[in-house]
Amino acid sequence: MIEKDPKKVIKKIKKLYGNSKDLNTRLIKTKNKNIGVLFLESSSNASTISDFITKSIIQEANDKPLFQTIFNNIENKIYNSQLFTIDNIKDFPYYLSSGFTIIVTDDSSKAIVLESRANLDRGITEATSEPALRSSKDSFTESHSKNLGLIRKRIKDENLWFEEMKIGRRTKTRVTIAYMNNIADYNKVKKIKAKLKDIDIDGILDSGNLRDYLTEKKSIIPQIKSSERPDITCQELLNGKIIILTENCPFILILPTVFLDYIKSPDDQNQKSINASFTRILRFCALIITLLTPAIYIAVATYDQNTIPDKLLISLAVQREGVPFPTFFEIILFMTVFEILRESDIRSPSNTSIAGSIVGALVLGQAAVDASIVSPITIIVVAVTSICSLIFQDSDFINGIRVWRFLFILSSSLLGFIGIISMSLIFITKLTALEYLNSSFTSPLAPLDIEANKDAIVKFELPKIYKRPSYVSKNNPIKQRSKR
Amino acid sequence: MKKYILILLLLLSGCQNYSELNQLAIVTAAGIDKDKGKYEVSVLIANSPKVNSSNKEGEAKTTVYKAKGKTIGEAIKMIELKSPKELYFSHINCIIISDEIGKEGFLKVADYFMRNPETRNRFYLLQIDKGKSSDVLKIISPLESYPSQSIKTLIESSQTSSNIGDSASYSNFIGKTIQKGYDPIMTTIKINGDKDKGSKQSNLETTEPNTYLSMGPIAIYKNDKFKRLSSNKETELIRVLNNENKELNYSFKYKEKNVNMFSNMTKTSIKLIDKNFISVDIYIKGDIFETDSNVNLNDYKEVYKINKKWQKNIKKDVKKLIDKIKHKWKCDIFGFGNMVYKKYPDYYKNFKLDKINVNVKVKTEIISTGSLTKAIKEDK
Repeated sequence: MIEKDPKKVIKKIKKLYGNSKDLNTRLIKTKNKNIGVLFLESSSNASTISDFITKSIIQEANDKPLFQTIFNNIENKIYNSQLFTIDNIKDFPYYLSSGFTIIVTDDSSKAIVLESRANLDRGITEATSEPALRSSKDSFTESHSKNLGLIRKRIKDENLWFEEMKIGRRTKTRVTIAYMNNIADYNKVKKIKAKLKDIDIDGILDSGNLRDYLTEKKSIIPQIKSSERPDITCQELLNGKIIILTENCPFILILPTVFLDYIKSPDDQNQKSINASFTRILRFCALIITLLTPAIYIAVATYDQNTIPDKLLISLAVQREGVPFPTFFEIILFMTVFEILRESDIRSPSNTSIAGSIVGALVLGQAAVDASIVSPITIIVVAVTSICSLIFQDSDFINGIRVWRFLFILSSSLLGFIGIISMSLIFITKLTALEYLNSSFTSPLAPLDIEANKDAIVKFELPKIYKRPSYVSKNNPIKQRSKR
Repeated sequence: MKKYILILLLLLSGCQNYSELNQLAIVTAAGIDKDKGKYEVSVLIANSPKVNSSNKEGEAKTTVYKAKGKTIGEAIKMIELKSPKELYFSHINCIIISDEIGKEGFLKVADYFMRNPETRNRFYLLQIDKGKSSDVLKIISPLESYPSQSIKTLIESSQTSSNIGDSASYSNFIGKTIQKGYDPIMTTIKINGDKDKGSKQSNLETTEPNTYLSMGPIAIYKNDKFKRLSSNKETELIRVLNNENKELNYSFKYKEKNVNMFSNMTKTSIKLIDKNFISVDIYIKGDIFETDSNVNLNDYKEVYKINKKWQKNIKKDVKKLIDKIKHKWKCDIFGFGNMVYKKYPDYYKNFKLDKINVNVKVKTEIISTGSLTKAIKEDK
């Protein structure tokens, strides 16, 4: 209920906001009636309010019911903004903060709410965290409606449904679940909705915050991929996946994600299939290299020297001459140094990162070898490992792989190759045991799905892929009809 | 509780055979000699610290350590006392024995290397032609960037002309020794030049090396005991019969002028026809490599005659070799007895090497006569 006295209402709201200076209120008197206008300067566009709203209010001075006249007047004059009425004073802060103007009058217990949002977003820019050579260049922004628009623009089907909910007691963040109505598995949508509804926290500021609530099982490698590319998002929507968009966050979440999704790149869909397959195999090799190289080096150098050819062994042994540290410590030391370098490179402003790379390359690389603190081969191992890890785009995935790499190093420094093999068994068991919303993390490889394997490690030509991946959704499996 | 036991298991069982690379002395070759009734073992260590810090990884200095003992194991223990690092045998390339060891029987020595789980059985086994085997290890080869690998490279590089690698391998030797009706052969190695000069760094600095290593003739063994050396010509033919020669260079007289034939394909099959009858088929394909006769090679009849002569000469030599083996050496290096044993195991008791009939068939083929059809300088 709203009191029928604009004066009191304004006073109340001012008190609620603690007399914040950006709360702008006007009490307009026409004949015997009072009209109250409330808006937040900081989040609304002042010129819209003065040009349209205030003018249309002041013109009214007859005896008809004031509230209805103003509403009709605005409705007939302003077409491109949301306009509706609310009857609960508790909703005021939400609309004010979202950039709405609220009009209250003497003769009604309702309030008119009119959108007068200020443009506080940056424009649509190129994707920075997931660059691609041959793909569309736009990326999601902080504006929720723009993000939805970027998806709508690409899929012009009425079956693309958006379900919105507000999460966070204080932030009241808009979170939209997007899915293709007749493709996505509705049970999965229901489960996700239930999970999101259970969240009761003061604020959700980023889609990354939601990730923890949506995960089902503990795992180091993230089970939910995030992306800032609308083209990937739409591709996944068409495959039947469910997308979660969060207000004020350019990263969306893709559910369910399988392991192979991290190996695919945005370019893959647009390239010749054989080249895309080749790059995917390359990326798969890079994954294995980045996981295992330091561990294998430690195993070879400290336990299983008989596994490598003579010349290589002699070369390694001569390089290690005079190095004071054990191989294990040497590797750990330099892996740590590299991780710190990478972290500082991400965090530091761009004009200081050159200094960082000079220190990294010259001081830590060349000088450390010359001073025989580390052997050259260690530098090579660390370099190969880190370059291979940078191929992947999802930073959470890279960090997950890093944790596993350290586990592999640890096991190989204890048991040599036997340690690596046992750790690999644990790794594979862990991966295959993961499941999200009834789709296995290692699908379509295990359980094997031959039809879905046409776009897994090897990508077939597009005219030959007829079905959507069945591990995502079993509804409406036909993606393409063959006309031949 | 289970978790702690698991972690404990890892920590207690792990690190057992842990050894850092720079604590290992990688042995790439070993020599075994006999000195005053004791075994003298010398090992070549590949990764001694570099003399002056050079950035090329290959330029490691090599070191030879030597020690004596009643057994091989004892001698190696003595070396470990001298060497600052732990000896690591898994990358051993070749073992060189002296003829004294060969005469005593090689199997006594082999026991240590076969029993040691560290060594791979994929190294070469060589006998030194003359002198002490430890001297071979000391020779610095000018053409090899890894000095420790020079002997291995020598064996493997001669594989383009002949496939010695197979017959020089340790497992092949042991395999033949153990089999019934087989006598093994061993490749020999020779030091050319002064052995003392060859062990100095100065050997690398001269254009013409003072000392170098080369492959020698074949040592014929009876069981595991060394009997005698073959001559150079016999060596080549033995390799042909063993299917080891890829290239055969053969000279003979035709119309009192020299003809040199070069073949790059020889194929031999030895078959058991009957209990007492073995046939040896040799097929050789080659070119006329060199000649000083003015025979008109455009005339196919002449070429045919040369071919016939070539064939006859080879046949004669092979027959001579087999007769020698049967009657003089009495060493069954081609495994005739083994063939009989495999097919007629009951008859094998009565098998005698000098009783067996060997039929030699040689087929030769001349592919081309080269770019010249006549000798350059004709008789006027």
